[in-house]
Amino acid sequence: MPTPMEIFKLLPKTNCKICGEQTCMSFAFKVITRERKLEDCKPLFDEEKYKKQLEELINLLEPLEKATETGLIVEEDLCTGCANCVVVCPVHASEDPYGMGSGKGPTIENPILLIENGVVKVINMLLCRRYGKERILCVACRENCPTDAIRFLEE
Amino acid sequence: MLIQATCAGCACLCDDIVVEKNGEFKVKNACRRGAGIFLNYLEGRAKPSINGETSSLEEAIERASEIIADSKKLAVYGMDTITLEAQKLAIKIAEKTDAFIDDCSSFCLGNFVEACLRGEIPTTTLDYVRDNAYVIIYWGANPVHSSPRHMSRYSYFPRGKNRQRGYEEDRFLVVIDVRKDHTSKIVKKNEVFIEPESDAELIDSFVKIMEGKAAKYSGEVAGILREIKKGDAVVFGGLGLRYGLEGDFKKFYNLLRKLNEFSKVYFIPAGFHSNMRGFNESLFEKTGYVNRYSFGEQTSRKEFEFSKLLTSSIPDTTLIIGSDPVNSLPFDVSMHLSKINTITIDPRRTFTTEISDVVIPSSISGVENGGTMVRSDGVKIKLNSVFENKFDDTYILERILERI
Ligand code: SF4
Ligand code: SF4
Ligand code: SF4
Ligand code: SF4
Repeated sequence: MPTPMEIFKLLPKTNCKICGEQTCMSFAFKVITRERKLEDCKPLFDEEKYKKQLEELINLLEPLEKATETGLIVEEDLCTGCANCVVVCPVHASEDPYGMGSGKGPTIENPILLIENGVVKVINMLLCRRYGKERILCVACRENCPTDAIRFLEE
Repeated sequence: MLIQATCAGCACLCDDIVVEKNGEFKVKNACRRGAGIFLNYLEGRAKPSINGETSSLEEAIERASEIIADSKKLAVYGMDTITLEAQKLAIKIAEKTDAFIDDCSSFCLGNFVEACLRGEIPTTTLDYVRDNAYVIIYWGANPVHSSPRHMSRYSYFPRGKNRQRGYEEDRFLVVIDVRKDHTSKIVKKNEVFIEPESDAELIDSFVKIMEGKAAKYSGEVAGILREIKKGDAVVFGGLGLRYGLEGDFKKFYNLLRKLNEFSKVYFIPAGFHSNMRGFNESLFEKTGYVNRYSFGEQTSRKEFEFSKLLTSSIPDTTLIIGSDPVNSLPFDVSMHLSKINTITIDPRRTFTTEISDVVIPSSISGVENGGTMVRSDGVKIKLNSVFENKFDDTYILERILERI
């Protein structure tokens, strides 16, 4: 994951506030926490002289793009589809005790994770405990993945 | 349209697979290996052929029947991925021709299945494990590779009737293996990983600690025994254990019996082909043996193991069903296949179909034909067909049986 400093170094550093932030540094922070998008920094895109920096920034932020809003990233290539993550998820266990909580496929409409075509898919992160205002730092799915296919953005 | 299916990718026989056929072809709940069987079912399919020349299916069946009828010593091999119904027909063919019959269980987990069938060791079902077992021991088994959903569906992770609080409180995991692998990676807090130099030594440690003596692995073993006292335990034994025992199965079975004086400890073999246990059970029912059987001599012997028969040039013809010995056996063994009549029935092109005199393509069990298979714990599971293909193993074997 890129650090705010690495992002900052590639920004225009003019503190022009067009993005809605007071400083480029605070903008850099918010890009990582996903409260701002790179596109909000208009000068970066409009002015030719930032072209190279922009390219570098896009590369740097690529992993961020893959992450869901809970900061959960799945490396599909590593995933074996074992469903450990699906079964251990405490939300699944309480919402679907006889389906996913008991080791089987989901019997509820919109689980957080499910196994499709042999790999895990994140389909409803709204239910994830890492999401929203009262979030808690649950790591159950990541901790029980045998192949390290799950990562969290901030770790 | 959603179709309920059973995956025949391994002996877990997961029966909660959902296949979406309309529009985009999707497979839900199956692991990567299982999903691949459905998604790629049309790839690499075998075609009927005789001496390398394409033929019709009927011609190939006809030619195979002639060769079998003319053969003096037939060896029937494979059958671990076909249905019980087809296995029974293959056994009939072997019986009718006084043939040898064997499957890969003779170098896989046949001994363990046999001990379960003979009642030599206490065993149970995976459903019982999910509902009740507290201590889950994987010994020389690597479910992450051999049966990817084993842990999430039946053992450590799912909640069960009397194990409602989940793995963190209601299960205790033990992984015994010669090296750290993906399965042992999951072993963290509240769990034990043992990397024994020899399985025999570890077994001795268990016995000694139970007798109150000092032993090599006393720390780990005493801890495990403490947990076993708290609730039912199950040992999943895999290929690593089978070979680690170096032929001394008794030693391990004695340990299991001794552990049962102490608490409830069950054994279930883990990590093999979808219906290997079905083959063992069918042959056992018929002959009292699980593999390496000769209908000619009416007994089972080590020398009747398929690879040993080949190297001693005993059979003049082999009928291989749903197995790829050219790929799985050492070359100096499988090269003998090129010297005898080889008939192969398989849904896909394999190394073995490539060198066979007659190739008869069949359908893929669980994808194109239904039937029954036996899960690793001995429970019969029904398969469904998702796509239609009436030329399955049963059809082919019935035709051959009629003609010999
Ligand atoms: S718009 Fe860009 S240059 Fe202006 S303050 Fe924001 S980040 Fe800095
Ligand atoms: S972080 Fe926790 S709540 Fe979110 S998906 Fe993973 S296990 Fe479920
Ligand atoms: S636990 Fe890991 S390997 Fe298993 S399904 Fe989840 S992401 Fe894939
Ligand atoms: S664990 Fe075995 S039976 Fe279950 S989906 Fe995977 S390959 Fe198929």
